[in-house]
Amino acid sequence: MLEIKNLHVRIEEDGTEILRGLNLSVKAGEVAAIMGPNGSGKSTLSYVLSGKEDYEVTEGSITYNGIDLLEMDVSERAAAGVFLAFQYPVEIPGVPTMTFLKEAMNAQRKERGEDELTTPDFIKRVRAAAADLKIDFNMLKRPVNVGFSGGEKKRAEILQMALLEPKLCILDETDSGLDIDALKIVSDGVNHLRDPNRAVIVITHYQRLLDHIVPDAVHVLSKGQIVKSGDKDLALELEEKGYADIIAAAA
Amino acid sequence: MNAHTPRLLTEGETGLIEAFKAAEWLPGREDVGDIRAAAINAIAAHGLPTRRVEAFHYTDLRALLPAGFKPSKRPAIAEASAAMTDYERLVSAVRIPLVNGHYFADIAGDCPQGVSIVPTFLNSGLGAGAFDAADAVDTVNSAFVTDGVAVTVSKDVAVDAIMTFAHSYVGEAGGIAATRNSVTVEDGATATMVDRSCGNDALAYLRSTVTELTVGEGAELTYILSIEEGDAAQRLANLKATLAKDAVLNLFVLNAGGKLVRQELDFSVDGENAALNISGVNLMGGEAHIDVTSRIYHRVPNTTAEETFRNVCTGRGRGVFQGQIRVAQPAQLTDARMACNTLLLSDDCDFSAKPELEIFADDVQCAHGATVADLEPSYLFYLRARGISEDAARRILVKAFVNEVVEELENETLVEALEGVIDTWMVRHV
Repeated sequence: MLEIKNLHVRIEEDGTEILRGLNLSVKAGEVAAIMGPNGSGKSTLSYVLSGKEDYEVTEGSITYNGIDLLEMDVSERAAAGVFLAFQYPVEIPGVPTMTFLKEAMNAQRKERGEDELTTPDFIKRVRAAAADLKIDFNMLKRPVNVGFSGGEKKRAEILQMALLEPKLCILDETDSGLDIDALKIVSDGVNHLRDPNRAVIVITHYQRLLDHIVPDAVHVLSKGQIVKSGDKDLALELEEKGYADIIAAAA
Repeated sequence: MNAHTPRLLTEGETGLIEAFKAAEWLPGREDVGDIRAAAINAIAAHGLPTRRVEAFHYTDLRALLPAGFKPSKRPAIAEASAAMTDYERLVSAVRIPLVNGHYFADIAGDCPQGVSIVPTFLNSGLGAGAFDAADAVDTVNSAFVTDGVAVTVSKDVAVDAIMTFAHSYVGEAGGIAATRNSVTVEDGATATMVDRSCGNDALAYLRSTVTELTVGEGAELTYILSIEEGDAAQRLANLKATLAKDAVLNLFVLNAGGKLVRQELDFSVDGENAALNISGVNLMGGEAHIDVTSRIYHRVPNTTAEETFRNVCTGRGRGVFQGQIRVAQPAQLTDARMACNTLLLSDDCDFSAKPELEIFADDVQCAHGATVADLEPSYLFYLRARGISEDAARRILVKAFVNEVVEELENETLVEALEGVIDTWMVRHV
């Protein structure tokens, strides 16, 4: 589903190179974990996949379901099924959550040539998804993420993911700022979305999340490259030995 | 004795003077004629204001007002009727049709109980009478005014129906549509009025209106000024209001049209415990130049004024907000607040904001603040990352910015209607 080859990326503003020849392949149905120390380029990878304009791709390619992802802008990628669950979801004052969800769902439906959702159908879907994630429906009457706690924001991200039914989900440190119960709820939400036609990239520092969302593959990112790949046991090994040892051994 | 400096009149100025000479038909008693003549003489002597006049510092009327306008004669009733049929209603309301500056009583809505709607004014002199020669907007109106309506809400009457001044413009380009209206809400009465101006985008015309609001003791008036002039229209307008003791005036101003708009707002807070709530949205796109100049005069103790404008500039649009607060020496415990927040969405647009505070009382609170910003990039990215196109995402954010003030109007019908006008503007400009 996703094929990244020799990807070099720098920050547009100051030219700092973050990704230095990254190779990664993620198949449909797969859950791939990307782990790595601070500053290794994990969040940059998530932003480049979603199309944020502050980064410049100097070399390499990203192919998504056979198409060149780098040729598409942010909203086109999202409409094509790429979803980024933000590490820090922004609060948008004045934009009601329900309006936002409806606009987003209909924008994607329109892109796929489907009819807009009727209001009752829309509300029904949101209610069901919110109940699964134990989100109080009244919370969704507030502006987007405004006044949400850290955990509520992360749950709201998973709610959007459930409603938008993307093909490629990228979870950027979704576990950060979550207590144990919230971690469980969020993980259940993600597991619920596991599907033979959907790939999930889980970006995290910690192995803990991977107890709940068991990955098919684990990749270690260091200094802008994948330095080691393995199965779920690699995450346990990292937890035990730390990044330094594994990275040194891989070098 | 000042030496008279000969000055060259611009085409715009000469145009007004020539048009006046040719328009002997302008209505009114003899004393009205004298006022008109004095007004046009003032224009001939001083010209229209330039940037050097402080109140016009950001709107050089002399340079901006084009030539070629002459007073518009009364259109045939069939034409006025057709204009009103085309005039999609903003809200369900009692309509007071003012087509090309002429009142059409025959096609007006039924007058609500306890209200009088009377076209008296030109027979009884020009309303409050004399014009203020220092005020170009007033002067032009005094010279060319063709009609006017006085709306009076009787003492203690609560009017449920919304009444609308429906200003329209039809026929040939180049007309001056000038009216002078008044709304008096007597002691203890309450009313809601819409004052709306529309015109065909293809027609250049000059709208001149002076409207006087009088809010009596304990009375409450909600007044919606919706300026939706055509793309080629010029508008010189003044809304004046006086507030008696315990009076409340809720004024909402929407600017969503016109090429050149100078909208003056003059408030005299004359009675204790009077409350003035002003909010508004100014939308400047294309080649529009929109100037809102507000002057609030607190004359007595214990009055409040709150003024909030949200402005959006795009294209080559230019916007101006001048907000003056004057507090007279006796007006202790005045509480006046003014905020002006602007979004600049293009490289070629601009906005000028100027607060002006003159305070002679020592125990008052007066605050003013202005902000200017572009849309927040992280908000845009977040919306786009959910599949919403860039244009749609921008509109969502602009709408959120302006709706905060629109939604403060508690009347849902009015909120929806105004949001509709804003949406239409956004589809064209954002």
